[in-house]
Amino acid sequence: VSVMSDVLSEASEGSGDDSQELMTPAELIEKLEEAWLNEKFSPELLENKSEIVECVMEQLTHMEENLQRVKKGDLKASIHRMEIDRIRYVLSSYLRSRLQKIEKYFPHVLKKEKSRADGDPSYLSPEEFAFAKEYMANTETYLKNVALRHMPPNLQTVDFAKCVPEPSLDSFVFLRVKVQQENILVEPETDDQSEYAVDLEVGSQHLMRYRTIAPLVSNGAVQLI
Amino acid sequence: MDPSEVEFLAEKEMVTIIPNFSLDKVYLIGGDLGPFNPGLPVDVPVWLAINLKQRQKCRIVPPDWMDVEKLEEIREQERKVGMFTPMPSPYYMELTKLLLNHASDNIPKADEIRTLVKDTWDTRIAKLRLSADSFVSQQEAHAKLDNLTLMEINTIRQLFLESLNHMYKLRTNMQPGKDSAKSQDF
Repeated sequence: VSVMSDVLSEASEGSGDDSQELMTPAELIEKLEEAWLNEKFSPELLENKSEIVECVMEQLTHMEENLQRVKKGDLKASIHRMEIDRIRYVLSSYLRSRLQKIEKYFPHVLKKEKSRADGDPSYLSPEEFAFAKEYMANTETYLKNVALRHMPPNLQTVDFAKCVPEPSLDSFVFLRVKVQQENILVEPETDDQSEYAVDLEVGSQHLMRYRTIAPLVSNGAVQLI
Repeated sequence: MDPSEVEFLAEKEMVTIIPNFSLDKVYLIGGDLGPFNPGLPVDVPVWLAINLKQRQKCRIVPPDWMDVEKLEEIREQERKVGMFTPMPSPYYMELTKLLLNHASDNIPKADEIRTLVKDTWDTRIAKLRLSADSFVSQQEAHAKLDNLTLMEINTIRQLFLESLNHMYKLRTNMQPGKDSAKSQDF
């Protein structure tokens, strides 16, 4: 087991490549959990966090490889396995909630991805992009086979962008502030109210429309809760 | 969010245990734990504490606030003021439930603690319902929710947010000219 701890502590230092090099594995897991909650609670699909996902996968694989060399029933190994299971749960829940949104909003997700400028970060990972395209093609084929081809000729096409609802950015969300923000404009709900500004202090929690704070979610200044 | 997921987050909180075994430091991905020595207190996440407890490998030391006197004070304070008072832990409800369910033999006056925490919770949830009600009837656009815990938010999340969305839809659809043609599911 002592050999294992050496390998494991090595693992903790070794795997941060490229842009993630300053992050410890513990920080990496924290980032994953933040991304998980943000994705769970935001009405729209957020930017993909492939780097985090890949790094976490790497950590898990590495740890699992090390564990294979340890005999069953070992206390230390069982603690490691429990941690792996927990991290894996968060990771799959995160990816699953993204897939659900892709299925729900596929035409809009694809449109956004295709219209993004070259330098902009991509919303979908390559795998998600492939999934979305395939999902759209399959839905189209399905609708054609069961219904559209039996319709009069002028009704045989379907415009997905029109008939699939868009994510509702006006939904309310709960959030906690991580970086102080001043003068966030809150739009009035009714005509007889007027617009006003709020300051978001670090650690404070708020309920407001997603649209108002969407940029703060993507730059990490607020955490959805 | 499923309540079990909030509990999952609560299980990351640290708690002190007194192990009855020895083990070197454990280098977890999320940070180092231990070393473990029989009789010497050590901090571990709740998920591990409960697992070790189930395997009869440790005794759990209840957190400072899990104490009848302190909780009575918290309950009185919560009843006295209209605002939400700060809780001793952002996961007070989940931790109480987890620790009392799995380690009640390590916690003095477990039943009284359960009742006190439940009373405090009930008071807070009643306040939360009132605030939600006035938020809706005043048609507010922003609310500050300091000191509310995730589990509390979670109890109203679905119904409350859905209702706000529906009311918003009804209101905007009544105003002519605002994208009234969409919102058709297939």
